[in-house]
Amino acid sequence: MADRPDLLDLCRAAVAAARPGEALEAYAEESRRTEVEVRDAEVEGLTYAASRGLGVRVVAGGRLGYAWASDPGPEEVLEVVARARENAAVATPDEHNVLPGPSPVAPMPELFRAAQAGMPTERKVALALDLERATVGLDPKVRRVERAEVGDAVSRVAISSTTGILAAYERTDCWCAAVALAEEGEETQTGFSFRIGRELDELGWEEVGREAASRAARMLGAVKPPTARLPVILDPFAGSSFLGVLAGALSAESVLKGRSLFAGLVGERVASEPFVLVDDGRLLAGPAVAPFDDEGVPTSRTELVTGGVLRGFLHDTYTAHRAGTVSTGNARRAGYRSTPAVGATNLHLLPGPEPPERLLVRAEGGVLIQDVSGVHSGANPVSGEFSVGATGLRIGKGGELAEPLREMTVASTLPEILRAVVAVADDLRFFASVGIPTVLVGEMTLGGR
Amino acid sequence: MLDRSLVEEVLRAALARGGSFAELFEEERTSFQVRLDDGRIEELTTGLDRGAGVRVARGTSYGYAFSNRLDRAALLEAAAAASAAARDGGPGTVVDLRAQEPAVFHRARRPASGVAASEKAAWVREMDEVARQAGAEVRQVVAVYADSLQRILLAASDGRWVEEERPRVRLLCQVTAARDGVIQVGFHGPAGLAGAEFVEAHPPAEVAREAARQALAMLDSRPAPAGELPVVLGPGTGGVLFHEACGHGLEADHVQKGISIYGGRVGERLASPLVSGVDDATVPNAWGSFSFDDEGAPARRTVLFAEGVLRGFLYDRLRAEEDGVPSTGNGRRQSYAHPPLPRMTNSYILPGTSRHDDVVADTPRGLYVRAIGGGQVNPATGDFVFGVSEGYLIEGGRITAAVRGANLVGRGTEILAAVDAVCDDFETREGICGKDGQGVPVGNGSPTLRIARMTVGGTGG
Repeated sequence: MADRPDLLDLCRAAVAAARPGEALEAYAEESRRTEVEVRDAEVEGLTYAASRGLGVRVVAGGRLGYAWASDPGPEEVLEVVARARENAAVATPDEHNVLPGPSPVAPMPELFRAAQAGMPTERKVALALDLERATVGLDPKVRRVERAEVGDAVSRVAISSTTGILAAYERTDCWCAAVALAEEGEETQTGFSFRIGRELDELGWEEVGREAASRAARMLGAVKPPTARLPVILDPFAGSSFLGVLAGALSAESVLKGRSLFAGLVGERVASEPFVLVDDGRLLAGPAVAPFDDEGVPTSRTELVTGGVLRGFLHDTYTAHRAGTVSTGNARRAGYRSTPAVGATNLHLLPGPEPPERLLVRAEGGVLIQDVSGVHSGANPVSGEFSVGATGLRIGKGGELAEPLREMTVASTLPEILRAVVAVADDLRFFASVGIPTVLVGEMTLGGR
Repeated sequence: MLDRSLVEEVLRAALARGGSFAELFEEERTSFQVRLDDGRIEELTTGLDRGAGVRVARGTSYGYAFSNRLDRAALLEAAAAASAAARDGGPGTVVDLRAQEPAVFHRARRPASGVAASEKAAWVREMDEVARQAGAEVRQVVAVYADSLQRILLAASDGRWVEEERPRVRLLCQVTAARDGVIQVGFHGPAGLAGAEFVEAHPPAEVAREAARQALAMLDSRPAPAGELPVVLGPGTGGVLFHEACGHGLEADHVQKGISIYGGRVGERLASPLVSGVDDATVPNAWGSFSFDDEGAPARRTVLFAEGVLRGFLYDRLRAEEDGVPSTGNGRRQSYAHPPLPRMTNSYILPGTSRHDDVVADTPRGLYVRAIGGGQVNPATGDFVFGVSEGYLIEGGRITAAVRGANLVGRGTEILAAVDAVCDDFETREGICGKDGQGVPVGNGSPTLRIARMTVGGTGG
């Protein structure tokens, strides 16, 4: 992409086309992504992607319009600006449609790793094959994977605006993931594991393979248990699904639009003491770390729940203006094709002092939930009520994992779960934009036979 | 779109290091969306997306590379990157490219690009107004109008050359209603492979009324019972269940990976004799339809179940070659940025002869599901979970109280086998189906069905 104009120049060209009285923001990104998928010790798919694009927001008289294009040439940049302007003319005026002004941004050079950016494709293929071997090499019941994959992306983001934003940064991201198949007789169980990071060589694929295999194998012979009220432990995979729903409810946008169960509860007790919830876009260990958010506002650490009390919400520039506060640096976009909206950046439950094994001992006779399904459809983000399917394992004497369980249903409400959290373990783990350790919840009703 | 001689050059370059076939998929997509939320038209978005993907296959393994630059240098670079996975020696051949005419054609009678943004904005305003008039308890409305025009070119080393224009239109309305601390959400989102004439057939006011009706009806709900119950799935809802709980297991990639409960069972009676199901990309102007799939295979109607007997799977090109059968025209991709996968198009359970009211009257106690909120399924085990977004009790053969928080838990094969009534009142539901990170438009359809017994998860004991 060396012969293409620099992203910041692309943004500047769009900003230069603004008319008097217009606020205009140009957001551009480019990336190179490689993904290798292997199965049966062979490369099944190798995907290489080079892409770039530009998105323009125009605000005129409080009306907002948006337009975008993939890899626009110089004339098309002007065309994008013209489309955004036309769109603004039709929108409803809103005094809170404002673009942020500039703030000092502390750079984060750690996000770009030259070693990852320069890693040859052959090495990624070799790592994917290693990952598959690690997944099928340990347990005799796990001889195949549904999928083992390794991927990376090198990307650059630039933003410029008539309000004085001019910022750019580069990052490398990488991931590896395995879905193991455990088989016994007619029965097949799947087990998933993954890691996300900045450099593939730091990810620990052996551990990913081992974990995927063990999560599949331990589910063999699962039975549907009788309905009972028992102590429950949510492992991070299960817990992260709920945290995703919680992230939506903590967005100031949901609150302002009357779609949050937390509306009007700032300063009130909403959770138990051990439940400490923080969003931190500057946390280097989190996948969603960035020096500034997707409208150029510096990222920050925001305490949402401490001492069991709700402290505030996540804001972008629009919601902050409307609520009379400042942006927390939580404007996020799905890419240049969409306008920014409030989103979590490393929203996580702070780890507690104990390892997960200690929590298992405390939950003897209860159930470890390993996976929940249907949270996105089974949870009402407005009321917090949910009813989901779950699989897991019975917790035996001394915290040993015993009989695998399937086809359970868990029905409760998010406020109820937050208040019922008894302890949080020390094994914090990130899933894209949210992170959570193993959590001991008090007694819950598990539906079964 | 790209010039024929450049396409041939790219395909030859793609096969320079070997491989059984190469293909180029070019796409240009313009899109427009108006979104109203919180009483305001807060966003109008126009997009222009363009790019090309090159795929080189060797058996079932492939290399794929894409670029959103369409100049010769960028396309040849993509061809070189895609050929990295194929290294079995000598260069492959490219057969003369010949244009194919579509057997089915989905026309937009009133192209959406010719309709002013202000008219489209008026449609979402109408949805907002109608939904708010539906009841004092309506608190919030999100209304969206979206259209796109996707132009594709598919050329392959076997001589295939296909061009198609796919116009799409969608209306969406989500209504939130609240009373005494109970908050409920209703949703309706019809969509078609069509132009703006689709909006005449699905007036914004009706879309809004349906979404509001759902939200308001559920305000009176009580917690759903838990346990095993007969379940009557209202028209259209069974199609969503069929798609998720059965359809994915019939996609040939799942079957070949050995993670489908349907693998090796063609010819067996796996469903009730009342159940016949198809996947049909030829339905005129339906959301999941097309003239050619994204590998250039003509649109087809594939029988999946005939009177309960499993008849076959859904294939794209690579998986069809592996099984030595023709592609069923189910190779689809989200865009040029993705390699094709076997995907459903419009998956339908076909209508039967029972009458809806008779089936309800014949159910002493059960759950009536009028809307389903989507779900999740593990294709390896067939286990699924669905949220019920609009459900009612059936008591004494009558639909009575609304119930909330219900979900349906079970296994695809068990549910299809347990169907004991299929009605004559077919309806469809449109959605975006996600698989391996790719979303494609799909239609689901069914008449009213009764499942003799099903696990219902609820909070009401």
